[in-house]
This record gives sequence, C-alpha cells and structure tokens, in this order.
Amino acid sequence: MARPVFRKVRAAEESAPRLAHLDRDRALVEAARRDPTRFDALYRRYLAQVYSFAYYELGDHHAAEDATERTFLSALGNLHLFEERARPQDGHGASTFRVWLFRIARNAIANQRRAARRHPTAPLEAAAIVADPLDVEGDLVRREDGADAWRAVGRLPADRRRAVILRFVDEMSTAEIAGVMGRSEGAIRVLIHRALRSVARDLRGLRGRSR
Amino acid sequence: MTFLGRDAIEVEALVTDRYLESLLAGHAPADAAGSGPDRGRRRSALALDESVRFAVHELGRDLPRYHPSFRFEERLALRLGELAATLRMPAAAGAEGSIIPLRGFDPSGDAFDGPDDEARRVGRPILIGSALTSAALSLAGVAWVAWRRSHPATSPMARAVRAVNAARPRLD
Repeated sequence: MARPVFRKVRAAEESAPRLAHLDRDRALVEAARRDPTRFDALYRRYLAQVYSFAYYELGDHHAAEDATERTFLSALGNLHLFEERARPQDGHGASTFRVWLFRIARNAIANQRRAARRHPTAPLEAAAIVADPLDVEGDLVRREDGADAWRAVGRLPADRRRAVILRFVDEMSTAEIAGVMGRSEGAIRVLIHRALRSVARDLRGLRGRSR
Repeated sequence: MTFLGRDAIEVEALVTDRYLESLLAGHAPADAAGSGPDRGRRRSALALDESVRFAVHELGRDLPRYHPSFRFEERLALRLGELAATLRMPAAAGAEGSIIPLRGFDPSGDAFDGPDDEARRVGRPILIGSALTSAALSLAGVAWVAWRRSHPATSPMARAVRAVNAARPRLD
C-alpha cells in the first residue's frame, strides 16, 4: 500500500495558527493609545481594505461607506480594549490589529445587511451591471471579464465568498482569515480550495457560452 | 464523504494554500514535492489542480481593491479627529467644562476701581458646566454681590472682620 505522500496535519499543529510574526501595526497602535489623534495613520492604512471588504460583501457603495464609517469609529472608541496576541502560544485566540479591525468590520457588515433586509437594495451582481456615468470604478467592473469574476464570486455561498475576498482583495494569509472568520486554518483552506474550483467551473461555463 | 475523500480534499487544499501563500509572499510558487528519489511521484500527487490555477489567475486579475471617494475619506477623517479629541480629554468629573473668565471678577477687568477693591483678589477660575459654579454666574448673584458691596453689614462680627481685613498688610 502506498504511503501517503503528504502527512496529515496533526491537531496540535492545527491549533497553533501561523500568526507567529509580531503585529506590524504595534507602533501605530501604541501611538494611537497614547494620543487618539494618531489613529489617523491606522485609518489611512486600512481604509481601502475595509471599504473593499464591505463593498464586495454589500454590493453598494453607500452601504459600504456606512459600514466602513461604523468600523473605524468603533475601532477608535474601543482601541483600549484591543489586545495584541500574535505569539504562537496564543493559539486560536491569536489576533493582530488588522484581524481585530476586520472582525469589527464583519459585525458592521452583518448589521448593515440586517438593515438592508428591512430596506432592500440592489444585490452584488446588479451593482456590477448598473450604469453610472460618474462611477469610474464601475467602468472597470463592467469590463466583461471582470464582471464574469464578480458573478462567479457573487454566486458562492457567503462563507466561501468572504474567504475569497479576504484572500484576493485584502491579501490576507490563511491564519488572518481564520482569525477574522473565527474558523480553524484547516477549514479556511478547504473553503478557499472549494471556492476556487467553483469559480473555475463557473468562469469556464460563462466564457464557453459567450464564445 | 468518506474518510479518504476528506483526506484527499485536505491535501489538495493544503497544496492550494501553499501556492497562494507563495504568491502572497511575492515568491515563485514553492515546489511542495521537495527533493529526493520519490520526487517525481510526489510531484504528480502534489500538482496543483489546473482549474484552481486558472481561478487564482482570473481572480487575482479581476478582483480589484476599491478605494472610497476622497470626499468620504476626508469626511470620515474629520469625524475620527473629533472623536479622538474628545477621547484625549481626561475623564474626570467636570473635565468637560471650560474655564471662562468672568469680566466682573476678572482681576484685570474694569468693573471695579480702586486699589482696595476686594474683587481684584478674587483670582480663582470658575468652571462652567461642572459642579463648581459661582453665585455670581446668575444675574441675581451679580445683583446680590453689588447690593452687598454698597450695603456693608452692620453687625459687630462684620465690623470686626472688616477691621482685621483693613489691618492686613498689602502684598502689592
């Protein structure tokens, strides 16, 4: 019997996320704690990332702006509660400022979505198609290939879509995504792998139909 | 799903993850097969699924990161600045007040003349919006102080206090 080529990841290894590096925002966080006006540097660093995450999740610029605003106001107001836990021995509770910020963003987006359910607006797919002459970013999305990718990602189940956005748009590591989504690294790896196969199937189908 | 099936998907997911991590780190994708006599067999087992490679390429190219409008960015920066300013103030009771010098009792003011004017010795600040307020804040308070100054008390105690005060050496 052939031996497995890849040894199975043991539970002990699995329980230690690879967030061993120190939080690269530590200096900025400390400065903002001493003087809250210094939070501006963290805000500028993460604005586009948080906004993109919200936009892909909510599919609407205004809703994304609201969620972004809530995220940063909440982060500044609760900065004293943030505790950096980026050592290997911190296990599943490992957290950096970016992971903490995106957890706040995830909650803000969930609240925004609940509000949107009460006042329905256009979904993600429609957002990529609606024409707006002033929307330069929308022009990019309306390019056929880009719109195909949007559609394929938009069709994914929420968990897979979220993991793909955090990976490809926000360029997070598996450990960071696990921290944001509150799942194990193994679960995130499988989520992303399955998402990519679905996207490939969808994109090939879409391209095949258009040719 | 069978046990073996679950194992297979986990291995594939691990290979995909290594490929993505190496892209993220900006390196050429790592060769998961390593080296040694079994390298060829390991390579075929660890080859990245072609459909996954295709999806990674497409998503990497077609999922841009968006930036909000400049107007929104600056408006939110302003709001954060305001919140930061309030967070910077000490949280002690009364700290939200501000010191406002009252003209009538300002030692440098013109409301009371004369070198022996007691008002000139009232140099303490008055906090507005906190527990410490002065009776002189209200119009009634100002009127009462003015009336009191023009109608000195005639009781023996008041006369004794004035005599002691007059005998006190001047600092200025």
